[in-house]
Amino acid sequence: MYILRRFLQTSFVLFGVSVVTFLMLHVAPGHPLQSNPEMRLDPTAVERWLQLRQLDRPLFGRYISWLSRLFRGDFGVSLLYNRPVTELMAERLPSTLLLTVTAFVISLLLAVIIGTYAARYQDSACDRVVNIMSIAGNSLPGFWLGILLVIVFSYKNQLFPAAGMRTPGDGSPADIARHMFLPLSVMVFANFSYYVRYVRGAVLAVLKQDFVRAAKSRGLNDRQLLFRHVLPNAAIPVVTIAALSLPMLFTGAMTAEYVFAWPGIGRFIVSSLLARDYPVVMTVNLYTACLVALANLLADLLYLLIDPRLRVKR
Amino acid sequence: MRRYLPLIVATLAFLLFLSVHGTFQDRTGGEVRNALHVAALTDPLTMNPVFLRDAASEEVSTLLHASLIVTNPSTLDPEPRLFANWQQDNLTYIFTLHEDAVWSDGRPITSEDIAFTMRVVCHPDYTGLLYLPLSYIEGAEEYKKLHSSKFADRNISGIRAIDKKTLQVTLKESYAPFLSMLSFAPLPAHVLAHVEVGQMETHMYSRELPVSSGPYVLAEWKRAEYVHAKANPAYFLGKPNIDNIYYRIIPNAEVQLIELLAGKLDLIPTAVKVEDIAELQKNPEIKIYTNPRLVYDYIAINTNQEKTPLRDLQVRQALSMILDREEVVENILLGYADPLYGPLLPIHFAYDYLLETEREDEADARRRLVSAGYSSLEFDMIINAGNPVRENVAVLLQEKAAKAGIAINLHFLDWEAFLAALRDGDYDLAILGRGAEADPDLSYHWHSESRGNIYGYKNGEVDELLAKANSISDKAARAEIYRRVQQMIVNEIPVIWLYARKAVHAASSDLLNFLPHPSSVFYNVHEWDLDDGG
Repeated sequence: MYILRRFLQTSFVLFGVSVVTFLMLHVAPGHPLQSNPEMRLDPTAVERWLQLRQLDRPLFGRYISWLSRLFRGDFGVSLLYNRPVTELMAERLPSTLLLTVTAFVISLLLAVIIGTYAARYQDSACDRVVNIMSIAGNSLPGFWLGILLVIVFSYKNQLFPAAGMRTPGDGSPADIARHMFLPLSVMVFANFSYYVRYVRGAVLAVLKQDFVRAAKSRGLNDRQLLFRHVLPNAAIPVVTIAALSLPMLFTGAMTAEYVFAWPGIGRFIVSSLLARDYPVVMTVNLYTACLVALANLLADLLYLLIDPRLRVKR
Repeated sequence: MRRYLPLIVATLAFLLFLSVHGTFQDRTGGEVRNALHVAALTDPLTMNPVFLRDAASEEVSTLLHASLIVTNPSTLDPEPRLFANWQQDNLTYIFTLHEDAVWSDGRPITSEDIAFTMRVVCHPDYTGLLYLPLSYIEGAEEYKKLHSSKFADRNISGIRAIDKKTLQVTLKESYAPFLSMLSFAPLPAHVLAHVEVGQMETHMYSRELPVSSGPYVLAEWKRAEYVHAKANPAYFLGKPNIDNIYYRIIPNAEVQLIELLAGKLDLIPTAVKVEDIAELQKNPEIKIYTNPRLVYDYIAINTNQEKTPLRDLQVRQALSMILDREEVVENILLGYADPLYGPLLPIHFAYDYLLETEREDEADARRRLVSAGYSSLEFDMIINAGNPVRENVAVLLQEKAAKAGIAINLHFLDWEAFLAALRDGDYDLAILGRGAEADPDLSYHWHSESRGNIYGYKNGEVDELLAKANSISDKAARAEIYRRVQQMIVNEIPVIWLYARKAVHAASSDLLNFLPHPSSVFYNVHEWDLDDGG
C-alpha cells in the first residue's frame, strides 16, 4: 500500500517535471540551427528543417505529441546527432557506469572503514588526517586536481594515459583499467571526502549514546560493539546519502569526463543542453527525475530493511 | 573487521596492478607504427558530406570523401580532384570525371552520381548548406520550388550526364565563383537514390558510411572516443601511405598537448594556442606548421538604433582609428595572424595591398569626434566569454578608446546570451568572426539583397559592381572591380576589421608531406607518410 502510494506520488512528480521542462524550453527558446552570424545558414533550408522536425508547431501541440510518443516508448530523435535519443544515451551509459559505479563502491568502502576508524579514535592523528582530507576533497575543484594528476602521472612520469577510455585498437580490460586510473582517482578522492564526513559523524553520534556505554559495561568487546550496535545504528544517514547519490552514477561525472576525455553521458548531456537539442533535453530531464525519484524510494525501502522500528510504525 | 582487511587490500592492489600493467608499452614499440593519431575537440555529428554544419564533421569528411574539385592551398584557384578536367563555353561547363574514380565498394563513380548529388542539394526537402551556389544552375530554382516527389529523381534542366564519365552543367547566368564552390563531395546514387531527401540526414548512411569516395574509409566510429579511418586501397589518387588514422576526441586542449608530448598523439590540427607555440618549437620531436585560414574577426557596429552616434561616419572613423591592428596581431596573437583592414583576406587574388584606410591615430580620432559634435561618448560592447583573444582585444580597445574620450562598457556573455543580444540588437559594438569563401566574391555579406548582409549595408554602386564582377571570368578584370568595391566598402566603415588568424598545427616531426590547406587539414592526406626512423 505504502509503495503504491509512493509510486503514484512519483508519477505525479514526473509529469510535473516534464511540464516544467517544456515551459522552460519556451522561456529559453532555440534549436541547433538558430541564426548564428558566424555561419552561412540558408534561412529557407532552416525553415524546411524546422518543418521536417516538427519544430514549427505551437508549443502545446508539440508537448502533446511528445507525451503521446513517450507513452509509445518513443523518446524522439536528437536534432544534433539525428539518431534516437535512447540509442545515444544507451551507447554512452556503460562507459559512464563503469567509471561511476567503481568510484562509488571504492569510495564508499573506504569511507566506511576509515570514517569508522577515525570516529573510534577521535582526535587521533588518523582522525585529523581524515578531517583535512575531507575538507580538501570538498573544496579542491575536480578540474584542477584532474589537470594536476595528468601533469604528474601522464606528462612528468608517463605512468598512466591522460585521455580516453582505451588505446584505439586495443581495449583489453587491462588497457581500460589503465585509462580508468586517473579519472577514478579524482572521483574517488572527491566522493570519499564527501562520504567520510557523514560516516564519521554518524558513528560519533552513535558512540555517544547511552546504549553503547551500557553495552560496553556489559563487557562486549570492540568488534561486537561495532558490528552489533554501532554500525547498524549509524547506517541510516549513510544509506541516505549513498542512495541519494545514486542518480549521479547514471548522469555521469562531467568534470572527469571532460578532463580525461572519458566517453560518458555527462559530456553528452551538457553539450546537448548548450545546443538546445530539445528531444535530448526533455529525455534527460525526465530520466534524471526518474532516477532521483527511484533513489528516494530506494532509500525509504532501505530504511525499512535496516531499522525494524520503522516497519512497525507504518 | 580486521579479518576483511587483507581481502580489501588485495583487491585494491590487484586494481593497481591492472592499471600499471603494460604502462610502458609505448606506441612506437612493438606495435605497428603505421597509424596516425589526430586530436579533435568534439565528436563529429555526421559523416554525410552534404549535411556538414560543424567543424569536426567537416574535418573528418575530408578524410572520408573526395570532393569534385579542390582549391589550390596558396592561390585558391580551382584544381582537379574527382573532376579530372573541365571546359567552359560561356554558360556551359563540361566536366570529365577521373577515369579511375571508384566508390569504396568498387563501383565506378559516374556522372549520374554527381547529377544525383546536385539534385539532392536542389531538392525542396534538402536542409544542408550547399544550395546557394547551385541555385545558379539552369532549372535549379524551379526544381527547388516545384519538384513534387520526395526523392531526388527526374532531372534539373541544366544538368545532363552525357556519358558515364562526362557531365554537362549549364548556368542560368554567368557566375564566376561557380567552379570554386564545387568543393563538396558526391553521394553514391546506388545507395541513396531510394531514400527520401527529407530522411537522408537521419539515414544510416550518415553514421555508418558503408560506401565513400575518399582516401580513407570508415572502419569504426566509437562515439565520443575516436573515429578509426582505414586507407582506401581503391582511392583513385593511389592508396594512402599511412594505413590507419585515429581521429581522437579529447575535449580539453591542455590534455591534447600533454598527449602530444607523451607521444600518444601525432597531430593537433588548426587550434594550437599561440601562447604554447614557443615552448613547443623548442621540442625537437614536434614541428609547428602555420597557414592562413579563410576566417577573420571584426567588430560589428550596430547602426540600427535611432539616434545612435554610430550612424555618424566621423564617429565610426574615430572608432576605427583606435586600435592598431599590427599591435593586436603582435601582442595578442603573437604574430600568428594577418592584420586586416578590409573585407578580403591577403590570400584572395583580389586582395588590395594598397587599400586606403584609417590607421591608428589617437589625436585624429579625438579631432573627428569633436568635429562630429561630441565631447565624449559611451558604447556597450558584447564579447562571447571564453574566447581569450577576443576578450583581450576588447580590453585593449576599451583602454585606448578611453584616451580618445570614448567610454566602452564591456559585457562578456556566454554564447547563447551573446547570440540573443545580437538578434535583439541589444549592443553597440560586438566582436565576431566570419568565414570567407575561396572566391573573392563579396556579394554574400555586402550585396544589399543578400541574406548574409546582416548589418543592412546598402550601396547601389557596390551592388552593381558585385554583379558585374560575378558575370565576367577574367581574373584581372575581376580583381580590378573588387579593388574598387573594397575601397568603397571600407570608406563607409560598416564594420571594423581586425585580423585573420592563422591555423597553427602541432605535429610529430615524424609526419612527412603534411601540407595544410586554408580550409582543410587533410587536403593531401593521401601523400602523408610517417618517418619510421629507418
